[in-house]
Amino acid sequence: MEKVNFRTQVLTGHLQNHRHATTAATIYPLPCVSYVPPEVSEQPFSFDVSSMRKLMDGHNLGDRDWLFNLMVQSKLFNPRLRGGKVFVVPDYNHSMEQQREITMKRIEYLLYHGVFEGWLTGKGPEAEMKKFALLEVIEIFDHSLAIKIGVHFFLWGGAIQFFGTKRHHDKWLRATENYLIKGCFAMTELGHGSNVRGIETTATYEANTGEFVINTPCESAQKYWIGGAANHATHTVVFSQLNVDGNNQGVHAFITQIRDENGNICPNIRIADCGHKIGLNGVDNGRIWFDNVRIPRENLLNSVADVSPDGKYLSAIKDPDQRFAAFLAPLTSGRVTIAVSAVYSAKISLAIAIRYSLTRRAFSITANGPELLLLDYPSHQRRLLPLLAKTYAMSFAGNYLKLLYIKRSPQLIKTIHVVSSAFKATLTWHNMRTLQECREACGGQGLKTENRIGQMKGEYDVQSTFEGDNNVLMQQVSKALLAEYVAAKKRNKPFKELGLEHMNRSCPVIPAQLTSSTLRSTQFQNDIFCLRERDLLNRFAAEVSQYQEHGESKESAFVVSYQVAEDLGKAFSDRAILQSAIEAENNVKDASLKNILGLLRSMYVLVTLEEDAAFLRYGYLSTDNAADVRKEVAKLCSEIRPQALALVCSFGIPDAFLSPIAFDWVAANSWSTVQN
Amino acid sequence: MASSFGETDQVLVEEKSSTRIFTLNRPKQLNAASFTMVSRLLELFLACEEDPSVKLIILKGKGRAFCAGGDVAAVVRDITQGHWKLGANFFRREFILNYVMATYSKPQVSILNGIVMGGGAGVSIHGRFRVATENSLFAMPETALGLFPDVGASYFLSRLPGFFGEYVGLAGARLDGAEMLACGLATHFVPSEKLSLLEDALCKADSSDPAVISATISEFSLVPNLKEKSACHWLNIINKCFSRRTIEEIILALEREAADKEDEWISSTIQSLKKASPTSLKISLRSIREGRLQGVGKCLVREYRMVCNVMQGETSKDFFEGCRAILVDKDKNPKWEPSKLEQVTEDMVDRYFSKINDEDWEDLNLPRRLNIPPHAIAKL
Repeated sequence: MEKVNFRTQVLTGHLQNHRHATTAATIYPLPCVSYVPPEVSEQPFSFDVSSMRKLMDGHNLGDRDWLFNLMVQSKLFNPRLRGGKVFVVPDYNHSMEQQREITMKRIEYLLYHGVFEGWLTGKGPEAEMKKFALLEVIEIFDHSLAIKIGVHFFLWGGAIQFFGTKRHHDKWLRATENYLIKGCFAMTELGHGSNVRGIETTATYEANTGEFVINTPCESAQKYWIGGAANHATHTVVFSQLNVDGNNQGVHAFITQIRDENGNICPNIRIADCGHKIGLNGVDNGRIWFDNVRIPRENLLNSVADVSPDGKYLSAIKDPDQRFAAFLAPLTSGRVTIAVSAVYSAKISLAIAIRYSLTRRAFSITANGPELLLLDYPSHQRRLLPLLAKTYAMSFAGNYLKLLYIKRSPQLIKTIHVVSSAFKATLTWHNMRTLQECREACGGQGLKTENRIGQMKGEYDVQSTFEGDNNVLMQQVSKALLAEYVAAKKRNKPFKELGLEHMNRSCPVIPAQLTSSTLRSTQFQNDIFCLRERDLLNRFAAEVSQYQEHGESKESAFVVSYQVAEDLGKAFSDRAILQSAIEAENNVKDASLKNILGLLRSMYVLVTLEEDAAFLRYGYLSTDNAADVRKEVAKLCSEIRPQALALVCSFGIPDAFLSPIAFDWVAANSWSTVQN
Repeated sequence: MASSFGETDQVLVEEKSSTRIFTLNRPKQLNAASFTMVSRLLELFLACEEDPSVKLIILKGKGRAFCAGGDVAAVVRDITQGHWKLGANFFRREFILNYVMATYSKPQVSILNGIVMGGGAGVSIHGRFRVATENSLFAMPETALGLFPDVGASYFLSRLPGFFGEYVGLAGARLDGAEMLACGLATHFVPSEKLSLLEDALCKADSSDPAVISATISEFSLVPNLKEKSACHWLNIINKCFSRRTIEEIILALEREAADKEDEWISSTIQSLKKASPTSLKISLRSIREGRLQGVGKCLVREYRMVCNVMQGETSKDFFEGCRAILVDKDKNPKWEPSKLEQVTEDMVDRYFSKINDEDWEDLNLPRRLNIPPHAIAKL
């Protein structure tokens, strides 16, 4: 007991020394640093944090909070007491098998509490928005959990919804929503990923039995990375080359059962594990081989094309290219959710790193003076605050993308495809970069998995690969822009899609002298982003046509023009993000919110100008301009600095979903916590 | 220590070595917390925190109540005779007291030997130790009064196991000492006959160490059996139903359970919910749900916004109607407006969580509490 008393006294001393710091420091050095909550040390907020959260989360706030509540109140979500607060973060020290098991248990808990009600049977924009909101909350807790749920509802369920017809809907949607069956999505193969049209699995129709025969003809055709396949899934949508009457009709999707109700693997199906991964170990990725598996004709998902009982191939869309595009269009929802979740991941890491930087000190710059808070170093501000500003801009971009997807129509298919490709790539790259910077900004503490950021690098890395490799997607963006360009020029008509309307106006002129107020004006910011996109599109078109004139095919011309294509993709993406940020800002009435959003927007633009070499390379900015931009970025850093805490508090991520270093990390690491 | 003349006796103060014993002293009003009482307590707590000779605070009530709640009748009188901002003064002071207690660096032992309701919970549950007895009677009855569980209840109710807090806060359930201990509202149960011995032992302990205090109380405490009809036996149903997203869904889930089997507990719970103010139910649920994700300070700031909106009465005047029906006319037949749950829209609920549109109005300005020990925050 004496020992306990002693410890308590030591601790009390540490915790109370702040109050007497001035007198104590003159007599003896402080025994150790104390934690002062940033809420106490920082200035009062200059804007209403809950209004900002409303603007950022955008929709279904009550539903989000409800789901956070469900997770916080269950032992399944691994609540841990650290420094006087409870945190819910998965235990990443669990083995792969344990992570998979607990992930499935968490799904069952959410199912029991009605979280998934209406996810497939609900209709209309409201049901879709609610589903998005809840998935975002799940993602804030754990990426594995969200992906496992996403595969079941968005990929398997989405395939039934969009590729299937009434007979499939009636049979599978409710059963899926209630997890009576567990679905997976077998598209990728060992030999083919992004190039879906090259897959090698076959489905051959036999008119005499009225069945399709699904077969894996060679090792490179084994289905690979199939989430849910290794342990739990009972059914899959398998993508195969359809052979009818000796003719290959291209890639089609078929429902195949792979496990019975007791979890035993079905005859003629072989399944193997993909093994331990750098992250997402709660998801049981597996490999599947089909050995001439027979399925009824009705299992063809036939919204785009069908096979009649007597073996006739029927499709309203004659052109195989168009058929394929129409077929895959609904899968955009995956890219939408990935893009949005990348922003939430960036928010988590910034909230943790910025809160830590407002309480952790290092080095004093005056003799005997107190050590400086990390975020009071301009260099630390420059590391984190531009990423914060970008995250804000991309958060609005994510909201815009969601709305675009919700109001999808045949006219919007192209726009949705291009914007979702661009945002998926840009936002997930931004997240990875943010995670790395935040990890480093937290020093050694960033390495502990309980502090989330370091672990999230592994958990989120996959985002730049799945649902379309980021580089491939960006090339598709440039190609689509070029197609728009060619079409407009050929018909001599104005641009009216993909936000290219600015190409119809005269070329913007950037002033030779860039003052602070010019740099911060939306006019200039819009102009410089449009100028870059316009010029790069012109250059890309010129380069491709030049290659074509020299006898290269269109495809090989694209391949060799990759440098401009890359710059162009970025230019498109940044301009579209800026526009959604400006729109969000314009819709705000409250002056204090508008004010800070303006600063963030300027920071987003100026730091982009500073970082993308294209502006200097192609001369959109002079070297003098670039120097002005750099100065302004530093100025913006110091202006945003006092609002940093309020800005991360507005992310709407409950304390419990951050980490111990975001709060009292001294108490969280005290000896008394070791003894317990 | 300056205090208002003639009114200091609403809180009696005893000094026993390093212990201060504060006794709430309005027995005829069941120790209802008046503005004077709340102010006096705040003054005492702040002074004791600065006073190095004080190690422990014991808080108890005179008579058969610990504290039956805030003196709401007086608040309503002030509002109807003057302005709602007079009411705001009371709540501001009360919530600051709650915050100081929740972040207090020295242990507070509250002896809950009688009625503990509303504001009474506010001055005890935030403290480190809560001692229940066979005479304890706990409730947060606000939804039946057109109010909502305030005094930081969105913080402490939401931290009870599972969704028990929703049940207690929405249905206004009455809990006895055994139930308080079982759900964590009380930290100890001591038979009332041993209270004076406990007091002596605590004074002798002469310590601020939570471990020492806890061990001292444990010497007199026991774990009582839950009564047969205790809500604690319905935990599974409580978790299943009160975890639902909305009030409507909660009631529907309870009705489904009731349809499955005849059950007095379920039907009386449904009755309590149906008798409560629809507006109160909706804002209370949202408050508890937000509270579960926030620290105690943010909870109190939000609740202060809410209570000001309630008093301003722009969206609903249920608070005044509830006080009329329960406290003044005592006809127990309030006419709620809106009268049905479905008439209370999301927008209306939203308004209670927004700032008051008034130049003079300010959010609750909590005192800056430096160096709060972590044990002071995590009590439940």
